[in-house]
Amino acid sequence: MKRRTLFAAALAASLASVGMVRAADYPDRPISVMVSYGAGGATDFQARIVTMVAGNEEYLGQPMVIINKPGAGGRVGWNWFASEAEADGYTLAAYNIPHFIAQSIEGGVKYEKSSFEPIANWGADPAVVVVPAGSEYNDIESLVAFASENPGKVTLSGAGLYVGHHIAALQLEKATGAKMAYIPTAGGGAAAMKAVIAGDVVAGINNLSDAFRAQEAGNVKILAVADLERNEFLPDVPTLMEAGFEVDNASVNFRGVMVPKGTPDNVIDLLAAKVPEMFANARVTGKMSAGGSPMKIMTRDEVIAMWDARQETLTELLAGLK
Amino acid sequence: MVSGVGVAVEFVQYFGGVFEPISFLLLLGGTIGGLILGATPGLSPTMAVALLIPFTFQLAPTQGLILLGAAYTSTVAGGAVSAILLKIPGAPANIATALDGHEMARRGEGARALHLSFMASGIGGVTGVLLLIFLTPVLAQWALAFGPPHLFWMAILGVTVIGSLDSNSFVKGLLSGCLGLWLSMIGYDDIQGAQRFIFHDALTGGVNIITALIGIFAIPQVINMFAKGRVHRAIDAVAVDRQPISSSAAELTTHTKPLAIGTLVGSVIGLIPGVGGQIAGLLAYDQTKKFSRNNESFGKGEPAGVIAAESANNAMVGPSLVPLLTLSIPGSPTAAVLLGGLLIHGIFPGSDLFENHPDVAWTFINSMLIGQVLMVFFGIWVASYAARVARIPSSIMAAAVLVLALFGAYSVQQSMGDVHVMVVLGIAMYVLEKFGFSAAPLVLGLILGPIAEANFIQGSMIAAAVDGPWDYFFTGSLNIALITLVVASILWSFFTSGRAAPVVGERSERAKSAEEVS
Amino acid sequence: MTATASRAQHLIPAVAVLLLSLTVVWLSFTREPAAAFLFPRLIASVMFLLAVWNCVRAALGLARVGAGLELEECLRIAPGVLVVLVYVLFVARWLGFYTASLGTFIVLYSLYDPASHFKLTTWLHRIAISLIFMAVIYGLFAVLLKVQTPRGLYF
Repeated sequence: MKRRTLFAAALAASLASVGMVRAADYPDRPISVMVSYGAGGATDFQARIVTMVAGNEEYLGQPMVIINKPGAGGRVGWNWFASEAEADGYTLAAYNIPHFIAQSIEGGVKYEKSSFEPIANWGADPAVVVVPAGSEYNDIESLVAFASENPGKVTLSGAGLYVGHHIAALQLEKATGAKMAYIPTAGGGAAAMKAVIAGDVVAGINNLSDAFRAQEAGNVKILAVADLERNEFLPDVPTLMEAGFEVDNASVNFRGVMVPKGTPDNVIDLLAAKVPEMFANARVTGKMSAGGSPMKIMTRDEVIAMWDARQETLTELLAGLK
Repeated sequence: MVSGVGVAVEFVQYFGGVFEPISFLLLLGGTIGGLILGATPGLSPTMAVALLIPFTFQLAPTQGLILLGAAYTSTVAGGAVSAILLKIPGAPANIATALDGHEMARRGEGARALHLSFMASGIGGVTGVLLLIFLTPVLAQWALAFGPPHLFWMAILGVTVIGSLDSNSFVKGLLSGCLGLWLSMIGYDDIQGAQRFIFHDALTGGVNIITALIGIFAIPQVINMFAKGRVHRAIDAVAVDRQPISSSAAELTTHTKPLAIGTLVGSVIGLIPGVGGQIAGLLAYDQTKKFSRNNESFGKGEPAGVIAAESANNAMVGPSLVPLLTLSIPGSPTAAVLLGGLLIHGIFPGSDLFENHPDVAWTFINSMLIGQVLMVFFGIWVASYAARVARIPSSIMAAAVLVLALFGAYSVQQSMGDVHVMVVLGIAMYVLEKFGFSAAPLVLGLILGPIAEANFIQGSMIAAAVDGPWDYFFTGSLNIALITLVVASILWSFFTSGRAAPVVGERSERAKSAEEVS
Repeated sequence: MTATASRAQHLIPAVAVLLLSLTVVWLSFTREPAAAFLFPRLIASVMFLLAVWNCVRAALGLARVGAGLELEECLRIAPGVLVVLVYVLFVARWLGFYTASLGTFIVLYSLYDPASHFKLTTWLHRIAISLIFMAVIYGLFAVLLKVQTPRGLYF
């Protein structure tokens, strides 16, 4: 009996030491970062920017390579990541909150919050309400007033079901009591934005970063931000709260990187120490702000707390909205 | 950006940027590299451009864009090389090229087909870029006119082509198309998130169009090479004809009609966001065939087919960037990747791009214009060597194509599941082809399925909120115009298939791709 | 020149496609949510009708397109297809992409190479060509495009 435990302990120690040895020269080859959205989308290009200095010696010393696995609002990529990705520290993925947590609550996917281990957060992109540049609505109140008088007539485009945009739309409907028609698009945020610019829909919910650029180009008007406070990029645009609608920051799109559950602890520790520093690199922050992408760097511990909080609010919200 | 003359002055002003030493080297490198990547079975333009983006990190914005612009231009044309010589289209855009181009190569006219294809690409491509330069403001409005109902009808128009495309049997052509449409529905449904027809875990992500393309075209070719047994040559023709360029150029001038149809169809389709260039080649091929007096020769090595398909898929390149550069809306998967490449350098396409960053915008556009011309020269230069692929023993060719197929299918999404789907589809396609089913309609179904469905569902949801489905899908001049085209296309197919029915039986003896020549 | 396949041969794929379309019809009309299966139902119905039509044509001997499969040809492709399946489904991931591809390249090349198997020069030639080809593949995918491939036991 005793010998058996001893043997088991020795085995465990030797396995651990193998893990340690491997971690000593980790990373010794390029690291893949899986993005669950198509190339060119907001998550994709932000991921490309924040990982571009990974090859520098002071960070990881190996480049990070982006792989896109788009489909069904991110479900395809995260399903693959939870069930097939190797937990060896060479396969990372970008996460989008609230998307993957909301989808796991809704069901039909192979992942939940505990399937993944967060490393660090790089950005927070609130949802905004946009209308075409030529729209008759110049503020959120008049849009809501029209929606209240004409239930179901206001069409709202967004990137899919159970993504941040959908959560914001559900919250807006609940807060205003006005029934609106949420139109999910198959091509992600870009397709949803096209529907707004072309006037296919009355209004849309989209990412602040994309909407900011579209407004700069004179194609849309941003009516309101679904966050707790006004955004640095849009100091003149009110939050929905200020406009008198009880919509909190549950739909804010947090983006960061994670590894699958089962990745060796020392690899997680190394990544959790280096990756936030990498996000804070001056070249990265410069390109991000030039791209109109709000950054929010959070460490592993902060992200764990944020995931837990989101899980709770989203469970409550989705149960109430069904 | 207002008057045509002003534009002309402005874009000439930035011509110098392209000819700076580093920029020009990048342009050359991008063009040659793009041709090679495009000609590699299994690497699509979208993938090639996406894989090149990390290289632009080290470059200045304009230089990065020159590289991407040149690579985009030449990968589209490069795809014709493998389509013609091996019947393995490099991208969906080159499927139509393979139909007649490979038949020409089998007759030993590979060099001729390549010359025609590159010259047609160049003419279509330059026209497309010139449209981009001079008509952008007008075209941007036209691009926006296409909403969900119109895109739905566009997709249906594409479906009507299925029955008449590359099949000697009308019913088997349609059935192949249906199989493709069904395959496109496997996996998570993009809008509702429901799981459909997922028989195996490898299918959760659906059937990726690029892996399917590799499987459906490359694997049957590999097996066809096996079927030859222990013999020397990959292609039946014993001698590869020498083809002087002057005679190819002279031949091109006799094919003005397919060239014009191809360029026109390519430019129009390229402009419409969401349809992309994937079907431009096929629609142009189909139109040319319908308007041709000797449409019986299509599919048997008719040069007009190659010219129409290739001029269309390069004419699509310029206009497909109109929505991107003016409205920041990527109209095709490749345009989406280019958008990422622009944003990384802090450049936001939009109506003010030409005012805020004229150097970047014009250098990018000029690099595509010059890239088109360089592409023709290098393409023709390479063509004579490339045509010698015919001399490579089939045992080496089979092994090489198989290894490339594995690497290509894997690198699309780095997924082993995709590779398995590829080989299963490939073997099934080999057997089906032996019984008169054909690959091109199947791929067309696979491409059109998601476009038709997403726009149908989205349109119905919007229609339910506004005027109801009838008004939404059936009124408005654009809807009516598209429906008229759909009806005309169906009537045409019925009329010609009825007339051609007796011929079909005779033609079957020379059934093309499945045929065993011994 | 082979003529077209026999009536019996044409019936086999026709029935297989008919069975497939029946399965698709059954799945489309039984699965929920109905909204997500609206389009599949449409496609499945059309596919079923076409499959029936195709089957009837095959049964009446009207299907004349396609050469069909001959035993002799099947025997020629069988070893190659077997190698393809073993390579793609098992060996590629197990040994690593590059090792497995090199091995498969040599095997396939040798299987269909008309040169004599019993000369040393043949084998040197085969191995040299395989190595050169794999070096090109490595340069293209690993060095230039930085694609990560499964490493398996070796590489």
